Amino acid sequence: MKPVLLAQQISYGNAERPRLKDFDLQLQPGDRLGLLGINGAGKSTLMQVLAGILTPTKGEVEILGQRLDRAGPALRRHIGFLPQRIPVYPELTVSENLTWAGRLRGLKGQALGEAIETVLQQVQLSEFSARLAGRLSAGMAQRLGLAQAIVHRPKILILDEPTAGLDPLQTEQIRELLAGLETETSVILATHLLDDVQQLCNRVILLDAGRKKAEHAVTPDIDLLTHFRQQAGAATLGAAS
Amino acid sequence: MIIDIALHEWRRLRAGMMFWVLLAFGQLIIAWLAFAQLEAFAKISPQLKAGALSLGVTDLVVVPTLNTLVLILLLSAPLLAMGSLAGEIHSGRISLWLSSPVRGSQIVLGKILGLWLASLPLVISAILTLAALGLGIDLDWPRFLLAAVGLLLLSLWLGSIALFVSGLFDHPAAALAASYGVLLFLWLLDTFGGSDAPWYWLALLPHVKPWFQGLLRSQDIVFFVATGGAAALLGIYSIARKRGEV
Repeated sequence: MKPVLLAQQISYGNAERPRLKDFDLQLQPGDRLGLLGINGAGKSTLMQVLAGILTPTKGEVEILGQRLDRAGPALRRHIGFLPQRIPVYPELTVSENLTWAGRLRGLKGQALGEAIETVLQQVQLSEFSARLAGRLSAGMAQRLGLAQAIVHRPKILILDEPTAGLDPLQTEQIRELLAGLETETSVILATHLLDDVQQLCNRVILLDAGRKKAEHAVTPDIDLLTHFRQQAGAATLGAAS
Repeated sequence: MIIDIALHEWRRLRAGMMFWVLLAFGQLIIAWLAFAQLEAFAKISPQLKAGALSLGVTDLVVVPTLNTLVLILLLSAPLLAMGSLAGEIHSGRISLWLSSPVRGSQIVLGKILGLWLASLPLVISAILTLAALGLGIDLDWPRFLLAAVGLLLLSLWLGSIALFVSGLFDHPAAALAASYGVLLFLWLLDTFGGSDAPWYWLALLPHVKPWFQGLLRSQDIVFFVATGGAAALLGIYSIARKRGEV
């Protein structure tokens, strides 16, 4: 099967302190890939390179067989990205924020209206559509951020620590939302939490100092912590445990 | 897409407090000044007639008020533009823009147009306030219209300069301070060295005042198009740098 995303030997940063080094990645349709690593391991840099925000200093990223740096900005339409800091306008309403996120990704007219209605129901924010984004709780704001990332039904969804800073109930709500995504959507999920990976992903990569340290399939019976400690050393997984 | 971005920028600014404060404050100053100038004009009008002086209401009421409007626009443009790029970077929303299928040129031109839309209510309300004088007094209409068109071009230029400076910083307050620095420098430049100085061409006021005197000069249009266009191009370049494209 043709991969939806292919990253070959990508590096970012300078030679002395690379933030990402010779990283390879292949993502098939419907893949759910978890990225684990301590702070500074390179997760966010990798996410930004894959989302087309940063151009790698070496190597190439292909989306649906086309190079991201050469195909023009239109290729980014297939990507949905939720960064660590939720990119919402607090002075605009939930609905206005979603309208803008949809427009930025090429949705217009009736298609935009329908997409907003659908995604509002999906993230259970329909009754808050007229509320200012700045007045949402942390969990609701995170759901709005997720709605912005999926409003245009991207083929690849890149999520940078979507459950960070949320209480257990809010974390569970986000996990349920992610588990309910369309099966053909490929997801890359950066997280500190092994539970996120265990519940949502079918594959996991451990990052350390910008390099791929280990990669493994996620099965219900696997003990990720023990597994990675054996492969990568306890220090690397300290924060993740 | 440029129009979409412009309308979004306009909507964003309109939803904030700053736009309304600037509009109210600006309109209050302009209205107060226009009526104060008019009152002074009414007092000296008989003397002007007796002395057969050619100065009219356009010289003694409209032009001084428009000069003040230029200053208000100069003060308000950085306040409106500080959030346009620096605010997006500071809040982390820049990732929404950079990961979208939108070109840097569309982002910059759309935001400049949005800033221009946000400055229009103040410019138009001031022009209408002064134009209302024409209901009872003879105005020099061709000169007045040239000044109005010049102000519209000036507000577009200010948006371009302030947006470029905003893109250089990752905090709105730093962008605001730098924009004031740049605009104050251009505002005062003609006072250093007189009209023979090599930098005189870059000074702002010598390119604005001719409009208010009824002079349409190609060198003024070239100044605004060249410097405003250069600022827009540098803004596009700064977006490309953020994306790592250059």
